Amino acid sequence: MLLRPHREDALLIGFYLSRIIAVLGVAGLVPLVWAVLEQEWAPAASFLLMVGVAALLGAAGRFLRPAREHLDWSHGMVVVALTWLVVPAVGTIPLAMSGHYSRLLDAYFDAMSGITTTGLALIQDLDHLAASVNAWRHTLHFLGGQGIVLAALTFFAAGGILALYHGEARDEKIFPSVTSTARFIWLVSLFHAAVGMTSLFLVGYVRLRFDPGRAFLHAYSVFMAAFDTGGFAPQSTSLGYYHSPLFEFVTAMLMVAGALSFGAHYALWRGPRNILRNLETKTILLTFTVTLGATIVGLAVLGLFSDAYSLTRQGTFQVLSAHTGTGFSTLSGADLARWSGLAFAGLATAMALGGMGSSTAGGVKALRIGLTLKALANTIREALLPEHSVITATYRQNGLKHLSPQLAQSVMAVSLLYVGLYLLGTAVGAAYGVPLQDALFESVSAAANVGLSVGVTAPGMPVLLEVVYILQMWAGRLEFIAVFALVGMMVAWAVGE
Amino acid sequence: MRRWGVATVLAVAMVGIGSPAQAQTAGQLDRDGPDYDGATVTVEGELIGDFGRHSGAVWAQLNDDPYARRPLLETGELAGSNISVALRVPVLLFDLAIADRPGGYRYRGPLVRATGIYRYHDPQRGGESYLDVAELELIEPGRELHEAGSTGAAVAGAVLLLLSFTLLGLDRLRNRE
Repeated sequence: MLLRPHREDALLIGFYLSRIIAVLGVAGLVPLVWAVLEQEWAPAASFLLMVGVAALLGAAGRFLRPAREHLDWSHGMVVVALTWLVVPAVGTIPLAMSGHYSRLLDAYFDAMSGITTTGLALIQDLDHLAASVNAWRHTLHFLGGQGIVLAALTFFAAGGILALYHGEARDEKIFPSVTSTARFIWLVSLFHAAVGMTSLFLVGYVRLRFDPGRAFLHAYSVFMAAFDTGGFAPQSTSLGYYHSPLFEFVTAMLMVAGALSFGAHYALWRGPRNILRNLETKTILLTFTVTLGATIVGLAVLGLFSDAYSLTRQGTFQVLSAHTGTGFSTLSGADLARWSGLAFAGLATAMALGGMGSSTAGGVKALRIGLTLKALANTIREALLPEHSVITATYRQNGLKHLSPQLAQSVMAVSLLYVGLYLLGTAVGAAYGVPLQDALFESVSAAANVGLSVGVTAPGMPVLLEVVYILQMWAGRLEFIAVFALVGMMVAWAVGE
Repeated sequence: MRRWGVATVLAVAMVGIGSPAQAQTAGQLDRDGPDYDGATVTVEGELIGDFGRHSGAVWAQLNDDPYARRPLLETGELAGSNISVALRVPVLLFDLAIADRPGGYRYRGPLVRATGIYRYHDPQRGGESYLDVAELELIEPGRELHEAGSTGAAVAGAVLLLLSFTLLGLDRLRNRE
């Protein structure tokens, strides 16, 4: 029998939700100040409105606080699932008011794409967008990549926060407490922000000879999108805009850093040997090598590039961008659409597999792939060995661990859910007449939070397809559990007693 | 006017245009890039973003989408995503032709006509695609655009902030009691 949630449940969920929305309000001060400094008054007004809405929602949740403040597991999951729907809704305000979107849904699509670090975009005339609004798009990447919930945890820890932490698809605790883990994650991010932004600024200002103000906008935006494996770019031609292998190299390093789990960052700080023995590291190195090899061979067969350097530079950057879930491209959508056969397979597979767990990357994730392969290998071994043989499956991930049948089952279940999510978007796209290859590519890009596009995501796209991509980005980012908790609570609300 | 003439002569002398140029759009070049590789083409549009000076040339982005002629801030009409082609312009030619800043927010950049050889996945440039410009002509200088006011939104935001502070104050009072 399902128990219908009570008013107190709603107040509890609203209480935590409002606190997280208040964090969005604080983050909104960054582009507000930016707009004032740039004297972009219309965007400044829209940011003030957004900050006002976030502040009011935050204050209302606090005012209507529930009798008990301790979150249990299911409430925490529902808070996280709702956070990732409501925060983009509030964050949409400056985008919708910018005049660069045909419909409100398009602005919400971009906000969802930003916060889930996907990078697909429906914005029109991006090249004339106000700098502060551009900065806001990229700040959404940072908020989403770091985890807006994580930000809230850092500032106001409370009872039951472990559920919030796990709900945001993070399953590793680097330190004994979630709060100290959250603070470590922010420390790593701020370190990379300082190094990454300075490097990009120097390349932009010294090497490319951009104006200092513009060089800073590029550095800020590209850092946010690269380290948080987002994929928005400040100009319509993405990374192809810069015509600079050096700029691409610095960006690529940031993309790799973003695709590493924060546990891996911690291990790296202690010495690289620790990380190289992990199953997750071995898996991602293997899948990257295989998908890159397939893509390069495919491109060579297609003859799109006439020399080895071009082939390697372009092939490596796009595969790295796909595998880390970033979505930057040095080529246009029309160019990518020419990647057929093995090149397409390599790129699409890289997108689908994704980066490391508990990182800002999307996709199935390397550890799940590694464990799935190990479980399959064990099944084959079991079939080949004598009937009563005992096989103990282990794997190394920050120490030797036992691969239990339950773990193998749950890992394969999530992997299958991803495959289902990829197929859902493909089917809807194909139903609208999109060629199957393009429909598959775009669907995987949305669900794995990558952001590479062959042009299906464009202003004026069918509303249903747009809604499906929004749901794919949302479910893909949360890795399903929080989504199921929300659906469960809605069902309980509707039919419970 | 003399400046444009000098720029054209210099460029032709430096690069040399053998075959007659065909007028194209950036969209066509993007869509059918391999077909235009090595062809001499002319494109018209707005210079936008940044003028990057590196690799012995000025790198600029030329947009020939509807916003180049009818800026969004003036008409409010949306017409899809930007359509562009990268330009690689010899420094001297660029400096003779363009004494303006690129387009962006509240600024419609200079409208130019650029003629040159289209390089698709150029092996000399690591697979980049761009127009190797030999002639650059200014059609119309850039101009300022004016943003619409949003006083209503600012007032609404301020009122909401005031309300939220009031609520927080009431909450604090209640807790004291």
